[in-house]
Amino acid sequence: MVEAKNLCMKYGKGKQMALDDVNFFIDRGEFVFFVGSSGAGKSTLLKLIIRELKPSKGALKVFNRDVSRLPRHRLPYLRRNIGMVFQDFRLMEERTVYDNVAFAMIVIGSSRREIRRRVPHVLNLVGLQDKAKAKITDLSGGEQQRAGLARAIANRPAMIIADEPTGNLDPGTALDIMNLLRSINLRGTTVLVATHNREIVDHFKKRVLYLENGKLVGDEQKGIYTNVH
Amino acid sequence: MFISGFIYILGETFKGLYRNRWMCITSTGVVMVTLLMLGLFMVVNLNVRHITETVKEQVEMVVYIEEDADRATLEELGSLIANHREVARVEYVSSEEHMGRLRQQLGGVLEGYDTDLDNPLLASFEVSTEYPEAVVRLADEFETYPGVSAVFYGQGYVENLFEVTRVVQIVGLALMAGLATTAVFLISHTIKLTVMMRKKEITIMKYVGATNWFIRWPFLMEGLLMGFVGAVLPLAIVHYLYRISVEWVAVNELMFINLLPLETVMAELSLYLIPLGIGLGILGSMFSMGRFLRV
Repeated sequence: MVEAKNLCMKYGKGKQMALDDVNFFIDRGEFVFFVGSSGAGKSTLLKLIIRELKPSKGALKVFNRDVSRLPRHRLPYLRRNIGMVFQDFRLMEERTVYDNVAFAMIVIGSSRREIRRRVPHVLNLVGLQDKAKAKITDLSGGEQQRAGLARAIANRPAMIIADEPTGNLDPGTALDIMNLLRSINLRGTTVLVATHNREIVDHFKKRVLYLENGKLVGDEQKGIYTNVH
Repeated sequence: MFISGFIYILGETFKGLYRNRWMCITSTGVVMVTLLMLGLFMVVNLNVRHITETVKEQVEMVVYIEEDADRATLEELGSLIANHREVARVEYVSSEEHMGRLRQQLGGVLEGYDTDLDNPLLASFEVSTEYPEAVVRLADEFETYPGVSAVFYGQGYVENLFEVTRVVQIVGLALMAGLATTAVFLISHTIKLTVMMRKKEITIMKYVGATNWFIRWPFLMEGLLMGFVGAVLPLAIVHYLYRISVEWVAVNELMFINLLPLETVMAELSLYLIPLGIGLGILGSMFSMGRFLRV
């Protein structure tokens, strides 16, 4: 599903390599943590997967297509298969929870009937069925991240990419969000999570790819943060 | 699929306009003033063109025939001029007819003179051309024809008239281009601010897989509406002002100011100003969005 071969990324001449000769393969349905300290290259890697950035060298295949060669007009269709979850939620704050989730469906051209049927369903999945009409600003951090998750799964993506999804949450709420991601993964969706959160990684015992100064220094199945470090 | 997208775009257009209503009102106002200036200038330009065209149409030349020209030369000259492809109309005026006209113009001054015996006036051909601009060239050509004594067409005056018309048109076009550029800049600036205010929303749209056109449409519609309103209001103002001007000219019996009819001016102006307003609005939004779409 995601395959990196000799993947390198440099932001500019004279700058340090953000990713240096990274190789890995992630299969359909996997749950993978990308761990490492700040600046290790986790976010760069996720940005390359959604083609927000283009690699400087090497190949990166997503859904069996080399994304670095993907023409710009095909990008929306790549991203429709990937649900994004962000540390800062990136929700439209002046709108309701329902509108935020429906928005992702409108954008890709879903019918009004499909939207009316699907949005309550995903809100139910993330436990926000009673908050559909609430404004984002009236929600707690955990609820906002649930809304973000609902939006990410609204279009039934084949893969979820979460960049520090628990970074702004307390430990209990963080665990709830991770449990939701796990249940989404159990339904067959590939989940990639970039995180610093040692407790979460150790708790879930999933595959861990450890990045340090742009290099992949560890890849362990059922790994724990401490082991690979 | 189409309906939900269309409703969304329409909704977003009006929401965008409402959210930034003061900015939209201000910039539509500025666009309106710009297009009003453009409209007023067009009205002046249209009328200057109309008046000069009318004057130009009256430009004629008189080809005087040599006194001793025989009948065959006269007939040959007449057919040469009449068959020239740039000549619209030819009229032969004999020396007696010229004298008759002179008598009429001078009233009783020539009473008592036997002008039939001693008529110094030459017979001529009065020629109208297809294009007034051809007069100068044709005059030079006709002067070389056999039997021609001289050709008059208001030398000096006609050249000046053509030069003034040309300058008025060039200055008009330059001024209109300047005003149009200002309008594009203003609309582009307003939409840029709207786009910046909605940058977060656009980024989210890109992440969830919206195409560039889906993102562009509401902004294009905003620009289109601003351009449209910015064109319709000046049209209404020009309509009012021009009606007053036409009435004023009629009341004061200034018949030498040959203004175009209100309907003609408004039809011409709507034909240019509305598509121009819409076009400027769309162009302005296109300019403002470019780099925000590269996520």
